[in-house]
Amino acid sequence: MSTLKLIWIVLAKELRDGLRDRRSIMSALIGATLSPLLIGGMLTVIAGRGKDAEEIKLPVAGVENAPAFVDWLKQQTGVEIVKAPADPEQAVRDRKEDVVLIIEKDFSKNMARGVPAPVKLITDGTRDSARPKAERAKTLVTDYSSQLAALRLIARGVAPSIAVPVRVQDVEVSSAQERLATLLNILPLFLVLAALTGGLQIAIDATAGERERGSLEPLLLSPVPRVALAAGKWLAASTFGCGSVVFSLLLTVNVLRRVPWHELGIRFRVSDGDLMSLLALVLPLALFLSAVVMFASTFARSFKEAQGYIGLLILLPMLPGVLSSLYPLSNRPWLAPIPIVGQYALAADVLGGKPPSVAYYVLSGVSVVACAIVLLALTSRLLTREKIIFGR
Amino acid sequence: MIEIQGLRKAFGAVAAVRDVSFNAADGTVVGLLGPNGAGKTTTLRMLSGLMRPDAGTIRVDNADVVADPIGAQSHMGLLPDSRGLYPRLTPIEHIEYFGRLHGIEGPALAERTRTLVARLGLTDVANRRVSGFSQGERTKVALARALVHQPRNVILDEPTNGLDVMSTRAMREVIRGLRRDGCCVLFSSHIMQEVSALCDRIVVIAQGTVVADGTPDELRSVTGRDNLEDAFVALAGLETEEIA
Repeated sequence: MSTLKLIWIVLAKELRDGLRDRRSIMSALIGATLSPLLIGGMLTVIAGRGKDAEEIKLPVAGVENAPAFVDWLKQQTGVEIVKAPADPEQAVRDRKEDVVLIIEKDFSKNMARGVPAPVKLITDGTRDSARPKAERAKTLVTDYSSQLAALRLIARGVAPSIAVPVRVQDVEVSSAQERLATLLNILPLFLVLAALTGGLQIAIDATAGERERGSLEPLLLSPVPRVALAAGKWLAASTFGCGSVVFSLLLTVNVLRRVPWHELGIRFRVSDGDLMSLLALVLPLALFLSAVVMFASTFARSFKEAQGYIGLLILLPMLPGVLSSLYPLSNRPWLAPIPIVGQYALAADVLGGKPPSVAYYVLSGVSVVACAIVLLALTSRLLTREKIIFGR
Repeated sequence: MIEIQGLRKAFGAVAAVRDVSFNAADGTVVGLLGPNGAGKTTTLRMLSGLMRPDAGTIRVDNADVVADPIGAQSHMGLLPDSRGLYPRLTPIEHIEYFGRLHGIEGPALAERTRTLVARLGLTDVANRRVSGFSQGERTKVALARALVHQPRNVILDEPTNGLDVMSTRAMREVIRGLRRDGCCVLFSSHIMQEVSALCDRIVVIAQGTVVADGTPDELRSVTGRDNLEDAFVALAGLETEEIA
């Protein structure tokens, strides 16, 4: 009988067994739904913050000290002046307010004498969520200051431009897509996790599970080459992993299409081509990750022992993900042949709107599948070891 | 037909099997009898092809087990020491899975499955998942999957371990049936009654060596004991002081 046919027999049995296992299904589903929920939630929160900065409620203390300044503030779009709390510093420290503007007593007197008029901006630098609002408040004050400066120079017959020897003009080179990609950097991480968790249970069940149940020895008594057994089990786990990735990606895209992008100031567009690119990257990785899990859990005598090893393995896909937020992996397509890292690097380019050439996809796919096949060969070697067959 | 010659296997410094040789002919039931730790399971594991002997030869129907384990495995049906099942599959699915792995398919597989289910008395539970099965039912399923390819040589490692009276009787019936079909049956046991009730020949093994090989009557006459159990105890060296 041909090896291919034997592989198919093992694959069919493991799939049937896996589909009846509530744990396998749950693990695949949880892995797949985690990403859309978290990404959707995160982007909605970020969108909300952007909105916060545009429509700002600014608590001001000492309104009576600078009526003209306060009137100017009120005229600015999206600014509403509210009464400041009794103890502004404490209020910011307690996170009751994001920012408080204090106009000091001497404001009008100093203004009239032409010396800098004192205001205080109370903020908490440790709070990321308050930062857009604090920056907006600071910009308002400096805008007012420079407008007054210009007026004073004109009153003295000097052109205001003379007081601006250098003008900074911000030129943003990243496209809106790329800026969005920094937000979506986390998407590949979730897809990789889905690839891992999707086939995890079935890969453990087919190796450590067989040993724990005592069904490995009877199975190995069948006249079947070890490599056919290992390959059938591996393909079953990979099928679950790939299913989980596809499901996760579809759900995430659905969620992303519901995020209020206009409030982020970005027109969101992930084309179907981009989706296909992400799939083409992560699906071969599911084959690799299943092979890693199978290899590791073949050493384990029981499910529990295997889960111990896998706990460490889960850090593996997290590591480049965390790394990429510190050291961006975009524009480094030569990382392609390194499993996991390569997928992150290429995914960052896809999401940044600069899809890498097809050769890099092929390179990453071939490399990752080659690694999987090596692991598979090692796993089938393990299945001939007496310690593994009989050690329970 | 099973031929074992000069088998030896050590685990580190411990010699589990020192020198085991015996033959088992077609149409006979041979009992491998010995106390716990005598080397019975290790011998059967080497016979199954999953464990490599340090020395010695094993031939099953003229296939060399050491050189070509997979080729030899299709001549053998083995009920090993561990009889784990897949809790989410039914007995029929177990039999069919192993049948397919042996290259049986289509109507032949369905026919063979039906026969085994009827013969082993699994009809009532044939379509239930095995997770809640009794020890007896589990052993029957394990035996069915070992017999699916109609092996000419059947090797059973302590087949009645953990079974109740009725299941033990059923197992004996199966073994007699296999002998009627002309199979070579080799089974290990440490229970005297079982061996004396079934075996045409008994191979007594103790501390990794064969200490006696013959029909029950021959063993009685060699040891000079009428009772087969006493003969076994004497042969296995369990009462050396008393003999001396």
